[in-house]
Amino acid sequence: MPLLPETNNLGFDRENMVKMRDVCKTYAGGVVALDHFSLDVRRGEVLVIIGPSGAGKSTLLRCLNGLELIDSGSIVIDGIPLDKNEANQLAIRRKIGMVFQSFNLFPHLSVQENINLAQRLVQKKSPAQANTITRDLLHRVGVLDKAMRYPDELSGGQQQRVAIARALALYPKIMLFDEATSALDPEMIGEVLDVMRNLAAEGMTMLVVSHEMGFAREVSDRVVFMEEGRKVEEAASAKFFTQPQQARTREFLSQIL
Amino acid sequence: MYAKRLSLSLLDGLLLLLLAGVLAFLGYRVSVQLNYQWNWGAIPQFLFRYDAESGRWMANYLTQGLLTTLRLSLWASLLALVFGFAVALARISNSLYLRLLARTFTELMRNLPPLVIIFLFYYFLADQLVFLTGSGRIDADSHPWLTRLSTIFLAPPAQIAPFVSALITLAVFESAYVAEIVRAGILSIYRGQWEACHALGLSRWQSLRYVILPQTLRRMMPPLAGQLVSLIKDSSIVSVIAIQELTYQGSQLMASTYLTFEVWLTVAAMYLLLTFPCSILVERLNQRLNRLQERSA
Ligand SMILES: Nc1ncnc2c1ncn2[C@@H]1O[C@H](COP(=O)(O)OP(=O)(O)OP(=O)(O)O)[C@@H](O)[C@H]1O
Ligand SMILES: [Mg+2]
Repeated sequence: MPLLPETNNLGFDRENMVKMRDVCKTYAGGVVALDHFSLDVRRGEVLVIIGPSGAGKSTLLRCLNGLELIDSGSIVIDGIPLDKNEANQLAIRRKIGMVFQSFNLFPHLSVQENINLAQRLVQKKSPAQANTITRDLLHRVGVLDKAMRYPDELSGGQQQRVAIARALALYPKIMLFDEATSALDPEMIGEVLDVMRNLAAEGMTMLVVSHEMGFAREVSDRVVFMEEGRKVEEAASAKFFTQPQQARTREFLSQIL
Repeated sequence: MYAKRLSLSLLDGLLLLLLAGVLAFLGYRVSVQLNYQWNWGAIPQFLFRYDAESGRWMANYLTQGLLTTLRLSLWASLLALVFGFAVALARISNSLYLRLLARTFTELMRNLPPLVIIFLFYYFLADQLVFLTGSGRIDADSHPWLTRLSTIFLAPPAQIAPFVSALITLAVFESAYVAEIVRAGILSIYRGQWEACHALGLSRWQSLRYVILPQTLRRMMPPLAGQLVSLIKDSSIVSVIAIQELTYQGSQLMASTYLTFEVWLTVAAMYLLLTFPCSILVERLNQRLNRLQERSA
């Protein structure tokens, strides 16, 4: 599996799954979404990113898997630099799974086909191989009984759990969650957070944009608070919530808690 | 929603009467003022004629014209679909060059009079395609079955070059509209679907093929079928380049018989024969689509 030795002349260490340096991203309209943003995420770490609307949280996640192109700076994912090289881009996309606020399941495919699709097309698995993995994952996220249903026949919570299973089916090394529970009715948030909690316990490297402070406090190792494309404060989660250093962080926490 | 029942009210009855009156008046004016002698009895012989030699009924000018229009429309629409998809894909491609090329093409096709396009293309293409009819390439005597095939599916060997260039011209012209329909269909799919594909590592082509197009094809069917109706109508344009389709046969027949109204009314009815079923199909598709959307909403 390791494509590169422990360290090489790029100067990364294997323990860092994500290494962002001075990343800048300005949208076409002139909005600066990321302003010299740097971030390291270790293997198996659960990082929660919080910040007000428009802070650049989604942009941060989207730059990591190439949904947005960065203007300057560098991103290295599990030893592979995200650059113009298409093979590198694809390798990185395969390492990263992403879960969206609006689920983005494929409405014309059944739950099982949703999860099979990329296994078949990207990993070239046989239908039988894909089915085995799909059913196992559906069992783990608790929607095995809906395998033959279509997305619009499922509740929001069930859809999001299917979306998580779909991302996991490709055995990603990093999972990105962009407000995965924000579009859900309150009574369904718990079931999705449970799946995420299990995933964290299994050692998945996770970057989670969320307003669920309970989850952040309980599950995350580290919290980053950002605003206007810059990192305002970053600390181990226990410390972040009990002794925030910045006045702005305290203000934000008092609003949100 | 309740199904609308077909019922005639008093007002409908009056309107029908009025319409009949107007038609009768028009017919009267034509026959009196233009001193027009109606002669419907002459028309059937131009539809079918009895071939004494073989002892069978054969299609005559108008029916042959109808069949040519049918062949022309069929092949041109198939070709237009293929071209149109290709142009639509070029219009949404990552390459600026392809996008500009496709954009220029659609804008040109949609902003030039069809007649001008037909003339331009036809004279260029027919020139390129003369080899098809060139010195005995398809020799009727040495290749009887090829001649038969060609006559049934395209045109008699002697007319193949103009026929093929006319159908390519039509297809190219209509493909600009098909491309717009396909592009609009693709763009109507929520961006999140593309993003999910990207995140799963699907290529652009795979995303399109397995996720985007399957969702949008159903939505594209009604406008595409509508475009097919347009194509059948537009095919009359190629009568100016002497393709012997329905309109051409009509004008020839009118010139030789002076049965102006009988000929053109018959031609109109024959076009309706082709386009009306298509229009009904469009409406059915639309209704089904609406029902599907209502159900999923
Ligand atoms: N595609 C885009 N084009 C132009 N501007 C954009 C685009 N996407 C985001 N922006 C802008 O970039 C800034 C950062 O957006 P981003 O979506 O990353 O914020 P966010 O922290 O995720 O906010 P939210 O909590 O509302 O989701 C915002 O000002 C937003 O308006
Ligand atoms: Mg966001």
